[in-house]
Amino acid sequence: MDKLIISKNDLPKLLDDLIKKYTVFAPTNNNDTVIFSQIKKANEANLNYLNSQYPPKALMLCQTETLFKFKPGPKGDIESVKLDEKKIIFGIRPCDAKSMAILDHAFSGDYKDPYFLTKRDNTLLIGLSCIKPGVNCFCTSFDDSPASSKYVDILLTEIGDKYYVEVMSDRGKQITKGASKFFKPAKESDAKSKKEAEKKAISAIKRTQKTDKIAEKLDKIFDNKFWKEVADRCVGCGTCTYLCPTCHCFDIQDESTLTKGARVRVWDTCMNPEYTLHASGYNPRPARANRVRNRVYHKYNYYPKNFNVIACVGCGRCIDLCPVNIDIIDVVTQAGEVKP
Amino acid sequence: MVNEKELQDAVEKTVKKGDVKYVVGYEKGTFGFQAMPSFAYKPEDAKKFIFSPLCVHNLAVFPMLEEKPPLRKGEEPDSRKIGVVVKGCDSRAIVQIIQEKGLDRDKVVIIGIPCTGVVDPKKIEAKFPGQVKNVDVKDDGDKFVVTIDGKTTKVAKDELMPDKCKTCEYPTPILYDILIGKEVKGTKKEDYKDVKVFEKKSMKDKWEYWEKQFEKCIRCYACRNACPLCYCKECMVDQLDPQWVRRSVDVSENTAWNLLRAFHLAGRCIGCGQCERVCPMGLPLMELNKKLEKDVKELFEYTAGINAEEKPLLAMFKPDDPEEFIL
Repeated sequence: MDKLIISKNDLPKLLDDLIKKYTVFAPTNNNDTVIFSQIKKANEANLNYLNSQYPPKALMLCQTETLFKFKPGPKGDIESVKLDEKKIIFGIRPCDAKSMAILDHAFSGDYKDPYFLTKRDNTLLIGLSCIKPGVNCFCTSFDDSPASSKYVDILLTEIGDKYYVEVMSDRGKQITKGASKFFKPAKESDAKSKKEAEKKAISAIKRTQKTDKIAEKLDKIFDNKFWKEVADRCVGCGTCTYLCPTCHCFDIQDESTLTKGARVRVWDTCMNPEYTLHASGYNPRPARANRVRNRVYHKYNYYPKNFNVIACVGCGRCIDLCPVNIDIIDVVTQAGEVKP
Repeated sequence: MVNEKELQDAVEKTVKKGDVKYVVGYEKGTFGFQAMPSFAYKPEDAKKFIFSPLCVHNLAVFPMLEEKPPLRKGEEPDSRKIGVVVKGCDSRAIVQIIQEKGLDRDKVVIIGIPCTGVVDPKKIEAKFPGQVKNVDVKDDGDKFVVTIDGKTTKVAKDELMPDKCKTCEYPTPILYDILIGKEVKGTKKEDYKDVKVFEKKSMKDKWEYWEKQFEKCIRCYACRNACPLCYCKECMVDQLDPQWVRRSVDVSENTAWNLLRAFHLAGRCIGCGQCERVCPMGLPLMELNKKLEKDVKELFEYTAGINAEEKPLLAMFKPDDPEEFIL
């Protein structure tokens, strides 16, 4: 597809143009943190960021999603919600974009989730290459790159005073065509500059996870005491799962007053004992060791077996913010070395 | 400076006695400025133990996180003690829990470390960004000594310490079985300067400030789980019938959660700052805790976690207790 360039001066103009036609989400400052939120003007976006505090999966699988609203009445009075708003997620990192592709498997399997899939179909991803990866970034452990264009409609990579633009889909092409005044065809030297920026970013990633044959290895150590040793220090909060771009478990509740109500689904976490608690009082994952193990197995064993992809993108959020330094890079690497 | 050898020897001796299930202390972390909780089940595990200004966790949470799996017929419960390495503030959590009868004094072996202040992980990461390898940080009088790739930098403690250390009145553990090194005298005073400034703001400004903070909350409950005093068997936010707080994550429910958490710790919070440290969204939770601590001190002349013999604040009544807040 097309390779273009856009100058740094023109990028805000493009963004303002897009805001007129789409609901645009971009990384924005919120006190000391950066999160994805809707922007009304280009200058609200902060494109000089490492990554958002919590992942933009929250725009597809909202932390609180109203499934429908209801009012009391003899036949019930149900109101459905509008989902097909045209959205753009601007400035998404390649790792988070990959997470969307990973989530597609879960939401388009035996049961097609209309909420996730409608939003996904109506959302364009305009990615921004990660040229200065963080301490705990390890996307390269999954043969991916901080400047990967695989999972976005358009990828921007900063090269000097301009961005190298890779158009990856027809939807992306419509955007660049519609705003052709801002784009120029890329020269060979621009492509070279992108490659250099990518190479530099890759070499800045210092941490690696060993994932070779990990699904098979995990099959053999399910009952190993290793999991208890890892989980000893776990305090059982949901930070790792809520900040994970591929974790997608949810809980459904009816929340109502006397006059109105809504069925909502909210993020849930397998770190919570209640997550697997049966109505009988029996809990198949009674201890933290069972729950910590489940998080690792879901990503490195169940998902690869079901969908042929590891459900981790290497964004490093769970490592950065775990209260007790449970470090998935080390945990998985060490699990691979445990003798069955 | 804490003598790590002395600490390791004490831990080894404690584990050797056989009446202790494990001792929880600290070991080196996996990257940057991390240390992590470490468990010594065997005497030789004590060799991993460290103590440095990076040991920011309050390990008093671990006896409270003990899981009691259902017993098989004829099986006896594991009634061995748990050893905990504590700093001054951490020890206050144990005192408070003992006071509340959440923990038996004879069921814990307390290894106390007189503390001269730890670092605030966020501050030190901001000052020395991008550290992949585990960094060595040492204590040297009124400075922290940070060694990165052989290069040593001394930084004034005030620059890197969390606020709780700047106003710490109890650097030496209040209760201990073994003390590592010499007692450190508390010379600082908690004057609630920031609380007093905040109290002067208008109701509208206060609400605007907290609304913005609570909006960020993702309800991961890290604040609750890292808190040694949050040890209810079933937390009220997990209850479904009645459901006190809805599962919806919005500013209204988030406010309910954060205020309930703070109120449930009134007269109980010992100010170790774990809630604020672990919050992934950076909510300044200690500002709430400090306000309640100040009110409790002024109204009832009570300070949590300094006397295991005393009754908990909410379990005692004095005829002259102020009651002007009762509507």
